[in-house]
Amino acid sequence: MLVRSDAGIAQFGIAAVLPFDVSPVQIGMRGTDDGASFEVIGRVRWSWTDGAWNEWLLLFEDGGTAWLGEAMGQFMLLRERPFAEVRSRTVKDVMKGEAPKLGHDVQIDGRKLTVSDARWALCVTAEGELPFTAPSGWRVYSVDLRGAAGECANLQRDGARVSFYQGRYVTLAELAPRGMRVIEGWALPDYAA
Amino acid sequence: MQPEVPLAPAPAPAVRALSCPNCGGTVELRAAGYTVHVGCQYCGSILETTDGLVKLITQAHLAQAHLEIPLGTRGTLEGIEWEAIGTLQRSQNGAYRWDEYLLFNPYHGYRWLVNARGGWSFGTMLTRTPVRRTHEIHELDGAGYTRFFAGEAQVDRVIGEFYWRVAVGEKVKTGDWVRPGFMLSREADDREESWTLNRLIAEKDVIRAFGVSPSGKIWPPLPHQPSPWGEWLLAGAKIGGMALAFLLILCVVLGGTRWTTSGVLPVAVDGREQTARLGPVTLTGRYQRVQIRADVPRLENGWVDLDYRLVDRKTQQVYAASGAAERYEGADSDGAWSEGSRNSDVSIASVPAGEYDLIVDYKGNRWSQFGTGNPDGGWMEPTNQPQIAVQVGTGTLYLSSVVIAAILLALPWLIGLILHLNFEKARKGESDFAPAGDD
Repeated sequence: MLVRSDAGIAQFGIAAVLPFDVSPVQIGMRGTDDGASFEVIGRVRWSWTDGAWNEWLLLFEDGGTAWLGEAMGQFMLLRERPFAEVRSRTVKDVMKGEAPKLGHDVQIDGRKLTVSDARWALCVTAEGELPFTAPSGWRVYSVDLRGAAGECANLQRDGARVSFYQGRYVTLAELAPRGMRVIEGWALPDYAA
Repeated sequence: MQPEVPLAPAPAPAVRALSCPNCGGTVELRAAGYTVHVGCQYCGSILETTDGLVKLITQAHLAQAHLEIPLGTRGTLEGIEWEAIGTLQRSQNGAYRWDEYLLFNPYHGYRWLVNARGGWSFGTMLTRTPVRRTHEIHELDGAGYTRFFAGEAQVDRVIGEFYWRVAVGEKVKTGDWVRPGFMLSREADDREESWTLNRLIAEKDVIRAFGVSPSGKIWPPLPHQPSPWGEWLLAGAKIGGMALAFLLILCVVLGGTRWTTSGVLPVAVDGREQTARLGPVTLTGRYQRVQIRADVPRLENGWVDLDYRLVDRKTQQVYAASGAAERYEGADSDGAWSEGSRNSDVSIASVPAGEYDLIVDYKGNRWSQFGTGNPDGGWMEPTNQPQIAVQVGTGTLYLSSVVIAAILLALPWLIGLILHLNFEKARKGESDFAPAGDD
């Protein structure tokens, strides 16, 4: 695993083997979001008691990054926001270690988001380049929020550190992907041709 | 030298095989990485497969089920290939059973293929939330959906793989809203709420894609089944309206009277009865309306009695009609007044073809009280040469024919309307929100 930080890229010990999955995304896949080109450079696989999901790290041409969350065949494009900017009582309560109520509405930037999920997540493994070390067995508290028009957000608490990510649901087609993973017996979709 | 061979990575395998810890049967994992639970197709046991491990969750020993779509079957719906990877049999607490097939394509994610009472719907999980507009209406992408069901759905049978934990007997609260062709379904438990948009699809498309067997007529209709008469009624209203408009235009354009015979009859000033003959009047249509118009240009303060007899020259068959023209005028405290008209129109309906004579018996009358009021001595003075101009013509269209045509045009439409209302009543009768007494 490589860790990307201001101090450069450093290599860390060998991570656990990624379990087999049929994700259509792979490291090296390119695409565009809102006219900006990106490349997939890393992935963290998380699991919880009721399943597992992938978070793919996208590196944009301007050096910015975003996460492409992949769960239940759906995709979310999220960008990190400084947590200090987020003015919401519920979100701050989560930071203090409280569990949010599912279905609870949260106002962020004047938009209503609803707490759709809150759970402990376990890092299964990671690959590629990442902005942090993601050791297998790393535990974080993760809260998902959803809006009525496809907006979404995620809050991760790791000890005292809280990260906030905000974005929207996307389809792979709208990211105009190139270099998708080829899966045996399945034709690449029209949008990737 | 060796030719350069472009190096492409080998495609990732699509299927991973596990063996069921309960019965040892081979369970193929088709959505590895997403799948959380698998219902073994041989014994019905539920296995957990998160990230490579297989764990028996519930042990079962079911007889192998017959599935309308065997798992692993692939089919193409609207240009996208899907593989059936899981199926649920669900019910409203044991009643109203239906089947749901989980479809998967690694590049397109999951969809649902739902079979309720033989009708098929294609469901897409929504990432946005419909907006509640009223007690009855929810809105999604500008379209309104009317509430139809509210209840609790339970899982009765699980086979194949799913991206969440499944358990037989598991219950969720459900709500359904419909518009023709679409159903918006909400499922909620104490953890989360999810919305799915189900689109009704033609059975022939599912037969072609997955080889299912046809189910006959669905009655009562499905909640989101569009009335088969609806479109027809709309088209019928347009076409019928156009036909009716065309008929009316035809009636106006061609519907006047074609005048064929005319004559001028002098009126005897002494007021005796006179007889005149006009003819021949030749009628060519099988049946027609004969119109007789009399104009009395000088008529003032008096009247003319007219008795017509249309006599068939061959058969002496008589068609009779009578008319009158009367006109009065004068002055009183309110000023000058006049009433009546200087002409008379009568018609004889349904006269058969043939050569006819029109015999007119007529008599001019003077309203004596005012007869001298006119400076020229009144209309029946010899100097005024009182006379009657008679015209005979045939009408080419009857208003009554137009009415009959309109009824004939409207009749199938009205029958369609009755069938449509019957369909809608039966469809809505299934709703949990049907008005009492409709069941």
